[in-house]
Amino acid sequence: MTTADLLLVALGAVAVGAGVLVVSTRHIVRAGLWLVVNLLAVAGCYLVLAAELVAWVQVLLYVGAVVVLLLFAVMLTRAPIGASDDLDRPRWPGALIGGGAGLGLAALFVSGYRWSRVDLPSPGTATALGEQIFTAWVLPFEVVGVLLLAALIGAIVVSRPDIGSR
Amino acid sequence: MEIEFAAAEGWLHNVWLLIAVPLVSAAILLLLGKRADKWGHWLGAGSVGVTFVLALTFFFQLRGMDEREGVELSLFEYLPVAGLKVDFGLLYDPLAAIFTLLITGVGFLIHVYAVGYMSHDPGRRRFFGFFNLFVAAMLLLVLGNNFVMLYIGWEGVGLASYLLISFYFDRPAAATAGKKAFLINRVGDAGFAIAIFLMFATLGTTQYDEVFNGVGQLTGATVTAMGLLLLLGACGKSGQFPLHTWLPDAMEGPTPVSALIHAATMVTAGVYLIARSHPVFDASETAQAVVVTIGAITLLIGCIIGCAKDDIKRVLAYSTVSQIGYMFLAVGLGGAAYALGLIHLLAHGFFKAGLFLGAGSVMHGMQDQTDIRRFGGLAKHMRITWITFLLGYLAIIGLPPLSGFFSKDPIIHSAFERHGWSGWVLGSVALIGAGLTAFYMTRLYVLTFHGKPRWTEGQHPHESPPVMTIPLILLAVGSVAAGGLMATSVPGWLEPVLGEHEEHHARLSEWTVTAMTMAVVILGAGLGFALFRRGTALQEQPAGPLVTAARRNLYFDTLNEVVFELPGKLLTRALVFLDNRGIDGVVNGLAATVGGGSGRLRRAQTGFVRSYALSILGGAVLVVAAMMAVTLS
Amino acid sequence: MTTDIAAETLKLPSLDYAALAPMLILFGVGCVGVLVEAIAPKKARFPVQLVLAVLGIAASLTAIVLAAGTEKVTAAGAVAVDGPGLFLQGSIAVLGLVALLLISERSLERGGAFVAQAAVTANSEADRDQATRGSGATEVYPLIIFSLGGMMLFAAANDLLTMFVALEVFSLPLYLLCAMARRRRLLSQEAALKYFLLGAFASAFFLFGIALVYGYAGRVDFAGIHAAVLDSPNDIALLYIGLAMVAIGLLFKAALAPFHVWTPDVYQGAPTPVTALMAACTKVAAFGGLLRVLYVAFERSQWDYRPVLGAIAVLTMLVGAVLAVTQTDIKRLLAYSSIANAGYVLVGVLAISKAGLASSLFYLVAYGFSVLAAFGIVTLVRDADGEATHLSRWAGLGRRSPLYATLFTFLLLAFAGIPLTSGFTAKFGVFAAAIEADQTWLVIAGVITSAIIAFPYLRVVVMMWLSEPGESTPAVSLPGALTAAAVTIGAAATLLLGIVPQPLLDMTENAAHFVR
Repeated sequence: MTTADLLLVALGAVAVGAGVLVVSTRHIVRAGLWLVVNLLAVAGCYLVLAAELVAWVQVLLYVGAVVVLLLFAVMLTRAPIGASDDLDRPRWPGALIGGGAGLGLAALFVSGYRWSRVDLPSPGTATALGEQIFTAWVLPFEVVGVLLLAALIGAIVVSRPDIGSR
Repeated sequence: MEIEFAAAEGWLHNVWLLIAVPLVSAAILLLLGKRADKWGHWLGAGSVGVTFVLALTFFFQLRGMDEREGVELSLFEYLPVAGLKVDFGLLYDPLAAIFTLLITGVGFLIHVYAVGYMSHDPGRRRFFGFFNLFVAAMLLLVLGNNFVMLYIGWEGVGLASYLLISFYFDRPAAATAGKKAFLINRVGDAGFAIAIFLMFATLGTTQYDEVFNGVGQLTGATVTAMGLLLLLGACGKSGQFPLHTWLPDAMEGPTPVSALIHAATMVTAGVYLIARSHPVFDASETAQAVVVTIGAITLLIGCIIGCAKDDIKRVLAYSTVSQIGYMFLAVGLGGAAYALGLIHLLAHGFFKAGLFLGAGSVMHGMQDQTDIRRFGGLAKHMRITWITFLLGYLAIIGLPPLSGFFSKDPIIHSAFERHGWSGWVLGSVALIGAGLTAFYMTRLYVLTFHGKPRWTEGQHPHESPPVMTIPLILLAVGSVAAGGLMATSVPGWLEPVLGEHEEHHARLSEWTVTAMTMAVVILGAGLGFALFRRGTALQEQPAGPLVTAARRNLYFDTLNEVVFELPGKLLTRALVFLDNRGIDGVVNGLAATVGGGSGRLRRAQTGFVRSYALSILGGAVLVVAAMMAVTLS
Repeated sequence: MTTDIAAETLKLPSLDYAALAPMLILFGVGCVGVLVEAIAPKKARFPVQLVLAVLGIAASLTAIVLAAGTEKVTAAGAVAVDGPGLFLQGSIAVLGLVALLLISERSLERGGAFVAQAAVTANSEADRDQATRGSGATEVYPLIIFSLGGMMLFAAANDLLTMFVALEVFSLPLYLLCAMARRRRLLSQEAALKYFLLGAFASAFFLFGIALVYGYAGRVDFAGIHAAVLDSPNDIALLYIGLAMVAIGLLFKAALAPFHVWTPDVYQGAPTPVTALMAACTKVAAFGGLLRVLYVAFERSQWDYRPVLGAIAVLTMLVGAVLAVTQTDIKRLLAYSSIANAGYVLVGVLAISKAGLASSLFYLVAYGFSVLAAFGIVTLVRDADGEATHLSRWAGLGRRSPLYATLFTFLLLAFAGIPLTSGFTAKFGVFAAAIEADQTWLVIAGVITSAIIAFPYLRVVVMMWLSEPGESTPAVSLPGALTAAAVTIGAAATLLLGIVPQPLLDMTENAAHFVR
């Protein structure tokens, strides 16, 4: 086992543990914070795999934007801050199916690759990614722009009460 | 025997007109709306008259030809899918020719009659629109040159029949009857549709000639399956056991509808289907055996229930069920009996149409009363109706020399001739059926026209106008003459279609059978006359188990409920439960019913999104697991 | 080294603009529509947007017609232009145009079916005020155009990533459009939220599936996956589970059981014209994607996935047919009917043959026209509170408005597959294709379920014609020119494709060849 392997296992364990806590805690704010831990651990995995750009994007976007947005939403909607029974009902069928699916997929990956070695591709630097995006993936990339524009328009339409009345 | 059809030439090129004329008339009647109210009924009747004349010209054209195998006419390519070419094509052969004549001839008389019968009905124009639509669809059914065309006509007549049964939609019974007819027919139609796809799967075609020529290459099991599926379709449409329960209920429609659709033409489509696909049935002993069994069971059921009914139209309806049972019995026997079944079909078309129209005439004069316990002594007041009804009655019980004698007697005889012990059983059943027919028809006739009047208050029976009685007279003439005429000519005429068959009667001589039949008929009629000469009780009397069972339609409605409706209901309930609540709901359902009223009120519409998500996840796990299972196995 | 990188090492992929034009035109028109919202005065927006959208779709359709016959892969393998792709794009354009007519109708209700300010709290004073007064939002036009563009890209996507992006592009505007009903706002918002959450959930499956397939094949483009399917040393389980998960994402969009749970709620809650758009166009796009994945990427592995997908088809037909029986709301009834119809299309798809492909394409177009006309009529049956969708309100409609009741009856007969309607031709086509491919069990299930589903249709017919109109039977509004045109086109196509289906059948037959 190399250092990278050890790091991956450790980060993976952190990610899974934090994930379990996200869905099992009784405090909604704590759930959001555990999500931060989970996302950071996944970002760590990316770093270990030399995908630096993706790792930083993960931190910036998910930790920096999405989770913060989530917490703001919790505050603005005056959701209960303390422990809430609504958040922690034992839902065994759900837990069984969800957990089973996760374990099954993990087993699938393990059996799919066993001990075969996979060489890491060239490091995921900004240069390499940019090159890919503007050659092989240029069309999907541009279309993502359309998607964001549509999302923007939609967000304005469903959230601003002061448009349309004029 | 290789079957081949010539291409249509000359005047026969215009066979498509037979379908087009009533179709155009129907379109005019239904699209013009109220503007056509004044003259619509004459257009409706006239168009069928024109079609009848056309049918006659085509008939003589075909008769004049040397090779009468039939002519084909391909109008346009309809469905070119998946290596299958289905043409919109017609086939005019001797079998189609006699059906065309029956449909347009009897149809025309009934149309004329309906002009009078429906004269007070505000929906008369709509009625004639549907009626013409029915004629067009029925002609398409018999004129198509492949099974898909037959299916299209099949669905078309079903639709028209449904529309016409529920014509009096203000009566709940009519609406229910329409629904029942539609549903039960769907069961049969599904069988028919699967049979068509089976043909396509095994033979790659649905053209009559190609299918029939190819039957020889198929395995026995395939042919039997094909035959049984076709039979399922035929049973649905022709009201045969176990799908017969819709036909008596269908009498809720206007009487001309009962006469044309539910007695003379549409309900015989099943017989047509079996006769048309005779190479399939000839090739499968099993399928034929099932056909005769069903025919025999149905004819007995129809007779038994017919004895216990008090509604004039229902008695006639059960009699139709049982007479079609005779036809099924005949076409199931195969060989020379095919022609006998078809002769009985034609003869039945005349006398049953006459009987129904007579019943309609009685109802017309008796303010729509249908209970035979409330008739009596009508012979004096409705002379023409009485005489024509009498002739129809004598024809159906098979008194020589009326048409029923020539058509039913040979069927009974052929039944006795079937090989092995089954011949004795079938022959006896057919014989008992003849006796029962004589009994319940006598009961119907005597209670209606003779004895003391048992009318309700304020009845002034009167004869119907000529526009109704003239068709009655013509149909009565048909019932008298048709049988003997057809018994001699039809078998020869149909030879190009059904092939030549030698008759060999080994067991019983013709005279023995005729004597036996006459004996039971006279016994049945005499018993009926003796019992009902003095009228009957006005209320339903307590009776033994058999009569009660017969009054309750031998519990077939209950049987249908248990066999078809109950599993359907259970399946629906199970699916609704799963769908509304998801997997998650299965577990929480109990808690919700016990504890949470408020929780349920909060739901604006249906389930929680998390339940939906869970059922999607559950489905996904199942799909993935199934995929794994299939892969690993 | 930094600035010259583009010139030296970047080999820009060649873009065939003529082949991409149908999508590029729509995306461009959508952007112009956004500008119109920003610049044009309030009053002028509706006519400008309508004309712009119609012209845009027409231009896109022209580009599709001009590209007919092209067979190539362009944009660095992201887009495949071929017969099925162009046919599907053309269908999306035509059906989208008809749906646009319904969406633009403003004479039935002041301001059309869309709310002016979707952000106003539902059932508040301001909301009641704007329900009767204000004009409708015109932002729906760019959203619809973006969505149609996304659908076209989805039908032509040649790798899983492009397909995923296209999936999101056409879904996101639909989520938003669902939330914008003028009446019954809570129901509409609930529908949108459900659709959004479940759609995101299904997208996750799709993405995970892509990852698994990539793990097996090392590629995400269909040609590469197909090469790996034929010959790859990796564990085959990765491939099959990847396929299953990709398929689940697609089956969700196409509303196949058990991934159909969202459909009734969303179809009911969404503004009816949007429901029509979803039932017609989304279905075309979703099956377009499914066809391409199954026929191009996974072609040789058919024997392994056919039983599973076949079971889904049977379950879908059964669920759609049986549950339609219990519905009391016309929009939910049509939703279950669309679920059942999706099952029939899947029967055709699973033939995995040229005939299967052609008949599925035909089915999608035929069903699209019928369902547009049907929902068009649903928008007409209304009272003071908007559309009257409860079935009891339809009782006696035949007396009140024979013309529309006749048309609706005709469309229901088409859904039931009665001959001489497009429904019969289409069902016959898919069943014949399945029979030819030895999938007899699917056909038997199909015939039996179509016998079952005829019953709920019949119930509506009975209700419309055979009951007396009551106090609560609403009058049918006189349609504006746009709705009348949409209903006429839909019903005429249903009739024509039933009587002379041959031209379209030939067209699908000629189009039925994928490029790899």
